[in-house]
Amino acid sequence: MHLDAATLLQQLINGLSQGGIYALIALGYTMVYGIIELINFAHGDVYTLGTFFSLAVLSLLGVTGVVSGPMLVVVVAAAIVVAMLLCGLTGVLIERLAYRRLRNAPKLAPLITAIGMSFILENLMLYWRGPSPVPFPQVVPNPELALGAVTVQAKQIMVVLLAVVLMLLLQSFVANTRLGKAMRATAQDKDAAQLMGIDINTTIALTFLIGSALAGAAGFVSGVYYGSTWFFNGFAAGLKAFTAAVLGGIGNIAGAMLGGFLIGLIEALTTQFIGDQWSNVLVFSILVIVLIFRPSGILGESLPAKV
Amino acid sequence: MRSPSLSRTAGAAVLAAMLAACSSTSSTSTTSATSATGAPSDAASAVPAASGATIKIGMDFPLSGQDAAVGRPSANGALLAIEQANAAGFAGGKYTLSAVILDDTVQGKHDPAAGAQNVKTLIADPSVLAMVGPYNSNVAKAEIPLTNDAELVQISPANTNDGLTTGDDAKKLRTAHPDVNSYFRVCTRDSRQGLALAQFARKLGWHKVYVIDDNETYGKGLADVFDPSFQKLGGTVLGHDHITANQQDFKALLTKIKAQHPDAVFYGGDVSTGGALLREQMADVGMSATPFMGGDGIGTSEFLKVAGPMANQTYYSIAAPDAAKLPSASAFVAAYRKRFGSDIGAYSANSYTAAKIEIAAIEKAIAANGGKMPTRADVRNEVAATKGFASPIGTIGFDADGDTTAPILTLKKVQDGKPITYDQLVLKT
Repeated sequence: MHLDAATLLQQLINGLSQGGIYALIALGYTMVYGIIELINFAHGDVYTLGTFFSLAVLSLLGVTGVVSGPMLVVVVAAAIVVAMLLCGLTGVLIERLAYRRLRNAPKLAPLITAIGMSFILENLMLYWRGPSPVPFPQVVPNPELALGAVTVQAKQIMVVLLAVVLMLLLQSFVANTRLGKAMRATAQDKDAAQLMGIDINTTIALTFLIGSALAGAAGFVSGVYYGSTWFFNGFAAGLKAFTAAVLGGIGNIAGAMLGGFLIGLIEALTTQFIGDQWSNVLVFSILVIVLIFRPSGILGESLPAKV
Repeated sequence: MRSPSLSRTAGAAVLAAMLAACSSTSSTSTTSATSATGAPSDAASAVPAASGATIKIGMDFPLSGQDAAVGRPSANGALLAIEQANAAGFAGGKYTLSAVILDDTVQGKHDPAAGAQNVKTLIADPSVLAMVGPYNSNVAKAEIPLTNDAELVQISPANTNDGLTTGDDAKKLRTAHPDVNSYFRVCTRDSRQGLALAQFARKLGWHKVYVIDDNETYGKGLADVFDPSFQKLGGTVLGHDHITANQQDFKALLTKIKAQHPDAVFYGGDVSTGGALLREQMADVGMSATPFMGGDGIGTSEFLKVAGPMANQTYYSIAAPDAAKLPSASAFVAAYRKRFGSDIGAYSANSYTAAKIEIAAIEKAIAANGGKMPTRADVRNEVAATKGFASPIGTIGFDADGDTTAPILTLKKVQDGKPITYDQLVLKT
């Protein structure tokens, strides 16, 4: 098998941008786990909902192709803000209806409930948009930058940048704001936090709001990046993102992003060197190995200050 | 109409109700379509001998997923044959035929377990004497052991995997009655389809091809025939990769393929397992000018919709004749149009023929049984003995394996967003 440096570099770019999408989804997974130790399986489906919500906004605005000039900012902002808002509300609603009452139940109960929520969301989307992939308009201009033999698409840069920026924003929010402090306290000890006057219901709802809003942003980005989505898309993506969160250290915000990028890279390189059908095998083998030797993930479990 | 149903039973019921609603508008129609739950519909029934017993013909097709685009026209073809038989006084008016139409879709995709469950439902009803379907080869794999056990004759209009009828694979499926075959098909096999596609690819002047399949019974089977055939004909296969279910990102795979500069990419698989997304993303890695080829799995309107402008420069085969161009099928094409208000699908004529063969076999079995209700084995034996049967898709018979003795293949090319018939081949058996 011949291999030139350009192809390898191109695969690294492919892997990073695919990893960026995983990272954006993994942020929400890891936040929810960090605070209530629940693996929110419905999170991947909230991400797909984000794509459909932003698609609905674009159809309302009558956007079918590339938008340029100042209108681009308006259109993208509208699509992304509405998707984040609606997804955030969906997350809060799910928490209120399905998880809150089970907060003190055995761990298995909310876990199964989460799987159930995932099925409910998938079938609602199936009912809403049908079973086939739905095309997503190419809103953002996508100039290709040729760096020697390697081509980088503008949308690939957008995915990676957005993942990094949102991760940094999230981390500074958790570390520096009052609400972030409340989240960390709740994560450490719910009862003690409540005794200290923290409204833990609001704090947990806020976590779901932010995590699901991030999934909404990821949904919009994925629509632009892939040009289509379908109702079941969140299942596979959610599973990979969850793996990313565990790989990086579940509950750890920087770890989720690291895990996402790593999985994207592993997939791309497996496809290049071994074969496409082995990418899942390799991703999950590496997960098993990491968990055996470092059960708390690469960067370790816990939110930044949950020492 | 799109009815993405929450459960396949509901989907089948909706379809049956829809069909029944349509049939009541036609005064000549005498079918009493039966819903999945067994409740007879209110379709206007003008059968003179309404007191006669009902004989049911079961169907199993994907009716609500992405495959519905091909599954529904297939079910319609068989339904039309049943309605016509009733109108023409089936078995001297002593019996009434009715259709039981079931859906094997789960979560928008054809599902072997759902197909098997449907066949169990059909077998449990003693008045079901024959069935048409399924559409997908992996679904057939799950169903054949059941129909073999019950000796219920099953004719598929569209399954092309070799292992369903020939070789050790087929023997393993006939578990209950190893020496008896209850499964037949009116389309050709992948060994012939794959070979014809390889010849076609060489004729188009392609030297180097990259092969991808979806790791399913049908897709992998087709690719595994195409791959060596293309090499035997002097071409080079640069590589052979398998994609996995629910995959969304093919950029890494396509980047790897692009670096080897193939003349074309061959895909063995369906649209629901990634065919259209794969084609669409070829634009992202700068492979817009590279042609794409596949089997009948990508020959659907779904492919055109999802792949968009990238659908052009795609070549595929259909394991059926282009009925719209056959003089022998003109009456069927017109009747279908009148009945369903739309053009036939790629496998409608095959389904129609499958049902016709079964209806003729049931009639013969009734006659041989002195007018009494025949057994399923009687009907199966009559179907197996079919020879020189005049149908819209030509004169058909079955060989010892259950394969058609008149395999025909249509080659299509997508141009300006529309498929055009490129060539029609009568294959050697």
